Amino acid sequence: MMTTIQRVAVGHAARRAWRVPPSWPPAVIAVGAFLVVLMWWSSTPAVVGLDGLLTEAGRITGLLAGYGCAMLLALMARVPALERGAGSDRLARWHSMGGRYIVSLLVAHVLLIIWGYAVTANTDVFHETAAVVLDYPEMIKATAGFLLLLGVGIISARALRRRMRYETWHYLHFLTYVAIYLAFGHQLADGAQFAGATWARALWYTLYIGVAATLVWFRFLVPVRRALRHRLRVAAVRTEAPGVVSVYVTGRRLDELGAEPGQFFRWRFLAPGLWWAANPYSLSAPVRGDQLRITVKEAGDHSRALAHLRPGTRVWAEGPYGAFTGAARRRDRTLLLAGGVGITPLRALFETLPGDVVLVYLARGPRDLALRDELDAIAAERGARVHYFVDDPAGHALPLTRRALRGLIPDLPSRDVYLCGPPGMTAAALPALRRSGVPRRHIHHESFEF
Amino acid sequence: MRPTAIIVGRIAAATGATAAGVVMLLSLKPHDSADPALAAPDPGPSGIASAANAQNGTFQGRVVKTRYGPVQVEATVSNGKLTDVRALRMPNEDEKDREIAREAEPKLEKRALAAGDARIDAVSGATYTSKGYVLSLQSALDRAGG
Repeated sequence: MMTTIQRVAVGHAARRAWRVPPSWPPAVIAVGAFLVVLMWWSSTPAVVGLDGLLTEAGRITGLLAGYGCAMLLALMARVPALERGAGSDRLARWHSMGGRYIVSLLVAHVLLIIWGYAVTANTDVFHETAAVVLDYPEMIKATAGFLLLLGVGIISARALRRRMRYETWHYLHFLTYVAIYLAFGHQLADGAQFAGATWARALWYTLYIGVAATLVWFRFLVPVRRALRHRLRVAAVRTEAPGVVSVYVTGRRLDELGAEPGQFFRWRFLAPGLWWAANPYSLSAPVRGDQLRITVKEAGDHSRALAHLRPGTRVWAEGPYGAFTGAARRRDRTLLLAGGVGITPLRALFETLPGDVVLVYLARGPRDLALRDELDAIAAERGARVHYFVDDPAGHALPLTRRALRGLIPDLPSRDVYLCGPPGMTAAALPALRRSGVPRRHIHHESFEF
Repeated sequence: MRPTAIIVGRIAAATGATAAGVVMLLSLKPHDSADPALAAPDPGPSGIASAANAQNGTFQGRVVKTRYGPVQVEATVSNGKLTDVRALRMPNEDEKDREIAREAEPKLEKRALAAGDARIDAVSGATYTSKGYVLSLQSALDRAGG
């Protein structure tokens, strides 16, 4: 099936694809936060007394949290230009760091407002809490939303997240949509900045409705439309190595997907037990005619089940996502450094990256060197070097040290490096590459740890 | 995964920066009220004198602009006593204002009649409205006093 190697030019759609530079999203979010603070500033004539201090601090934190929630949702809207430009992994990291920050802001907001109101009303915080929750408009919903958000924030802490299945955590996390929906009303109904302020209200509606529309469009409408247009189905499943399978997917008009080597899709296989998850797997070969290929290593229930997929199973593929592509390259010479199943996107890049490319593939044992015959064929055809290293048997390993790397690739400092592998390997490789003289901006890797 | 020290350091920096930012914003604002309604002098003993020397009749107080809207009160005086107080204008920009006004007005009226002048306590949760009410009532009593 994969015997003819083509130097596939990157398709039209991919070339035209717009990428948002990684520095833009934080800058835009910061500008927005500044405008929100300005909104507070321009509507607050004075801060009088202790109650004024507390209440106004509560208002600032509340406004920033409300704005922040909209931005957190926007980061996860799967906007292609963002996913391609900043990278899916970076967006997820920003979202998770931002999420922790926003939850803290919310806790501060709740405490400051209740305390401030209690001082104004000359009562204690418990009575005031009851008064605020029960008597103020939209507050029961807002309280429910706050508790939901707090709960989701708590279970997202690494210590707790580790104890549950990823799928369980993922679905609980969707409750944040419910929480934000519940809390929206109280912002306009109780927020001092919005009382009778047409512009502020219009701005807030625009913000939230805009984000909601973006979410619906990219996370729901686009995948549905794609599914109908491309009609992806499983064509075949092949075992590449122990615990590693390739899934071949066929469909129509695949060039329209604009998938570049190195990118991944979120795959939803419409088979019993698999349909409710959309898991990310990289393409392990360039898109060829009517065929897509992913190569997956058994790592959990979902990946294990792929080995038993029946041909003809319908597939929804959301994407392409990821900034780990040839577009990131800045030099003519490249090193592709793969660890274990990290070979997947690098195999695709090995075939298509122009210039002088060296592939270094580290695996546990010779039988784990998946796709080896293809890699050899590509290397022969394009005159590129490929080096294999295994941990076992001993003596054939490549230590991830400056000496070993420079010894193997003397001109390493003049190469761009694409790095993909398990977290332990990339954690060791990154500093070694830096020490070998490769500048940080010439190292490209995707890390999905958050 | 980054070492704990870096994570803790980041949390401390984010918290510190936020707190510092909020404190700075608050400190840059004036701390005496710029709201003319609140800046006007407290109604003092003149309140009692006004009612006692007042002509009989109904007098409208001035319209006091509060941050939530205008407040105006009408006072009825007979035989040197405050016999009736009525709010002509209360903040009603949106539902929240109307709700607060609905809650506060009867209480303010009761207090004014019980006190016989404008020296009454603000209603909790309606600080600005109460202060506007008091000032407008005082100006009505001033007009009654001549």
